[in-house]
Amino acid sequence: MTTFDRMPPCCIAPPDLLEAVAEHGTPTERESALRTLATSESARAQRASFGGVLRQLGLTVSDVEPAPGMVRTVYDVENGGDFDLPGRKRRGEGEQPSGDAAVDEAYDGAGLTYDFYRRVFERDSIDGRGLEIVSSVHYGTDYDNAAWIGFQMIYGDGSGQIFTKGSLTKAVDIVAHELTHGITQFTAHLLYSKQPGALNESFSDVFGSLAKQYSRGQTAERADWLIGEGILGSALRGTALRSMKAPGTAWSTPAGGRDRQPGHMRDYVDLPDDGDPSNDHGGVHINSGIPNHAFYLAATAIGGNAWERAGRVWYVTLTERLRPRSDFQEAAEATVEVAGELFGADGDEQRKVRAAWQQVGVL
Amino acid sequence: MKVSIVRGGGVAGLVTVTTVDSASLAPDDEAELRARVERAGLAGAPERREGTGERPDRFDYELTVEDGGHMLTTRAREGDLSGALRALISYVTSLPGRQEQVGPPG
Repeated sequence: MTTFDRMPPCCIAPPDLLEAVAEHGTPTERESALRTLATSESARAQRASFGGVLRQLGLTVSDVEPAPGMVRTVYDVENGGDFDLPGRKRRGEGEQPSGDAAVDEAYDGAGLTYDFYRRVFERDSIDGRGLEIVSSVHYGTDYDNAAWIGFQMIYGDGSGQIFTKGSLTKAVDIVAHELTHGITQFTAHLLYSKQPGALNESFSDVFGSLAKQYSRGQTAERADWLIGEGILGSALRGTALRSMKAPGTAWSTPAGGRDRQPGHMRDYVDLPDDGDPSNDHGGVHINSGIPNHAFYLAATAIGGNAWERAGRVWYVTLTERLRPRSDFQEAAEATVEVAGELFGADGDEQRKVRAAWQQVGVL
Repeated sequence: MKVSIVRGGGVAGLVTVTTVDSASLAPDDEAELRARVERAGLAGAPERREGTGERPDRFDYELTVEDGGHMLTTRAREGDLSGALRALISYVTSLPGRQEQVGPPG
């Protein structure tokens, strides 16, 4: 159980009272307490413990916030950490730009991602039921990262080393990559370890790239198929964090470190998931290069807008077919099956999806 | 005293290793480093974790302190860091005398 470095501000009914009612009250009292915990603004500062209560009750945030439609809220956590989340509210849905670039970019990025999923796949937000998209910007100090932390987004300002300052909220593919982790959490829930984890990472790169392509109106041929292009800081040379088109070519360092993503199963990097940070949960950011490359091959072979056919196959696979422990083989077989169902058995799409996985050595 | 911090994960999936040797620090900085190490209260053995949990793209840390022949290592996840550990990490990773290396996992 986590401890708090400092006590968060109290509301009229303090969170621990609400939690007790949520756990032990009658169904009506429970529902009321859960809604209060969900909607009271000071209680929002305790979404970390709120998340814990929900888990104990076997619920998720979507069980208490089932209102359809896009709702975005952006907070400034003012260089604080997890226990300061979400921070000071800066912009609610429909409100005017705040003037803080990070706030307004996070707002726009969430909107772009929401619209992409809504228009292309008819998905209503992260959970498919209109979950409010909460984002906190200015997380930490020089924090070279952005993440979906189970119930909201956090964005750092970047240090200039890994990422240029202010770039994380500007990069549409990074925003959509992170929000897609949320979608995976509510659907396949791929375990963040080894092959399932590499698939989890890959789906985030795939839909991150597709959201960027959709926002630019680019076909598969026109797209750059790069993740994190143009935002690398001074510690890295190269164009991007990852390339779906040419895994292993995206970045290098002056000291000789380099992108070692494989594009084929023969080069799979079999790291253990042993808690050592240098093993990356069994290489989830490394081996994602293989399913990434399969998607690139399928999408470019099929042609046109990648989100329309290849993207739809991958979306249905993620949201309706895969399970927490699905591996590359299972994912490949599922995409082939889904392609046949959506676009015709033994059709052009199905053959090209199968060929893509064969080219990367999975099938 | 040598302090080494390995950070993995994040959206970039990079491994950053930051090391500091107190011998290369000014006396005030060395004192501050020792104080923060003391306050962090590192455990004696690395924590072994199966199923590292659902924290995509968050950072994972391993800290090693070597002092007078003794070595202490601990692992921690961003989001679980104690205030003292966080303070030690942020200090070490901003010290001018530090060495830093970025590379891929593995």
